[in-house]
Amino acid sequence: MIYFILGLVLFLLFSVQITLLGMFSVAGITPDLILIVAVYCGIHSKNNGGIWLAVLIGFFQDCLSGGLLGVNSLSKGLAGLFFCALKDKIFVEGAVPISFFIFVTSLVDGMIYLLAMTSILGGQAKGGFFFSSVILFGIYNAVIAPFLFYMFDKGRKWINLRFSSQALETV
Amino acid sequence: MTVNARYDKSNLFFESVVGSLFSPVQNLFSSTTTSISNAFDHYLFLVDTSRENDRLLLEVNRLSRENNKLLERKKFLERSKKLVEHFDGNGRPFIVAKVIGYDATQWSKMIFINRGTDHRVEKNLTVMTDAGIVGHVIHSSPKSSKVLLITDSRSAIDSLFQKTRESGVTVGTGEKTCQMKFVPILAEVSVGDKVISSGLGGVFPKGLMIGTVFDVVKQNQELFQEITLVPSADLSHLEEVVVILSSKEEE
Repeated sequence: MIYFILGLVLFLLFSVQITLLGMFSVAGITPDLILIVAVYCGIHSKNNGGIWLAVLIGFFQDCLSGGLLGVNSLSKGLAGLFFCALKDKIFVEGAVPISFFIFVTSLVDGMIYLLAMTSILGGQAKGGFFFSSVILFGIYNAVIAPFLFYMFDKGRKWINLRFSSQALETV
Repeated sequence: MTVNARYDKSNLFFESVVGSLFSPVQNLFSSTTTSISNAFDHYLFLVDTSRENDRLLLEVNRLSRENNKLLERKKFLERSKKLVEHFDGNGRPFIVAKVIGYDATQWSKMIFINRGTDHRVEKNLTVMTDAGIVGHVIHSSPKSSKVLLITDSRSAIDSLFQKTRESGVTVGTGEKTCQMKFVPILAEVSVGDKVISSGLGGVFPKGLMIGTVFDVVKQNQELFQEITLVPSADLSHLEEVVVILSSKEEE
């Protein structure tokens, strides 16, 4: 049941990402809910479950994107790995730390895409535009991340309360 | 009666007096009965009014929803009609598709359309609006397809200036504009010039509108000009597009 709910939430997030989020774009920039989920999974997973979940949702994002298959699996997987490995050493609670880490992760995500696009796909990228976009992208993600983290926390607590017999391992 | 018949008077004095005398009583009586009747109608017989009100509110909401749906349908049909009228008679088969989604990432410029291999939509087909080229199909599944927009940094279209027939390659920038590359520095290009597809490359048929020159930068030490194009199709507000299908002869 827990995995069904988790799948439903991810399905909902992907649906929002590919349909409604375009309406909230600022200067052509839309936030990346999947990136925020990947970071959340990395932070709140037990053992290494978060890494695999991050890779999986990255792969789904790749399938729903026109880019190279694997770029998002890599970037989200790395985000999951980073936060999974360092969750005991860093403090990601409260709006400011969450926003800071999401901002940094967004920059890394953008850089990975830029590298993949220019080196493997042979795309053209205007440096100035790309960097300003990445920064705006990071800021946008950082602004909405605390709210999403709060919602995920609420959801996680509700699931744990409702299905206390089945321990929720991943989130 | 005799007097009245004889002198043919419409109003007799007594008639007026009696009328004036009784009219206040009549008025009073009439207004009292009306008030009583109203009281019965509006207070005592109001048992079902609240229920009726709820029912009517629901009905109003339903009609409002239906009206909105019909308005949307009308607008959709108007847009589709415009597209069909534009492409009908071009000799190439086409299909109208709805835009159902956007790229899941920030970095790639792509849309999803609701037509796929079930509707003969396949890879490398041209996608347009009546204003110009939108992009081409990069992946097709049975019920939907992915369309790479011309503004994506991986998109490249061999193109021509409509007026001078000078050729170049239109590439996406990842922004809302495109760039036309490899146009020689000596070529005559001015702002407002129209750019069309050249037909080379095998994806886009010749003569389709791509965009309009927005900015031209010529630097003496360079071999080529830096030309910025604004796409003819409004890529930020796409709702319906047309996919140009392969004709049977091509198949």
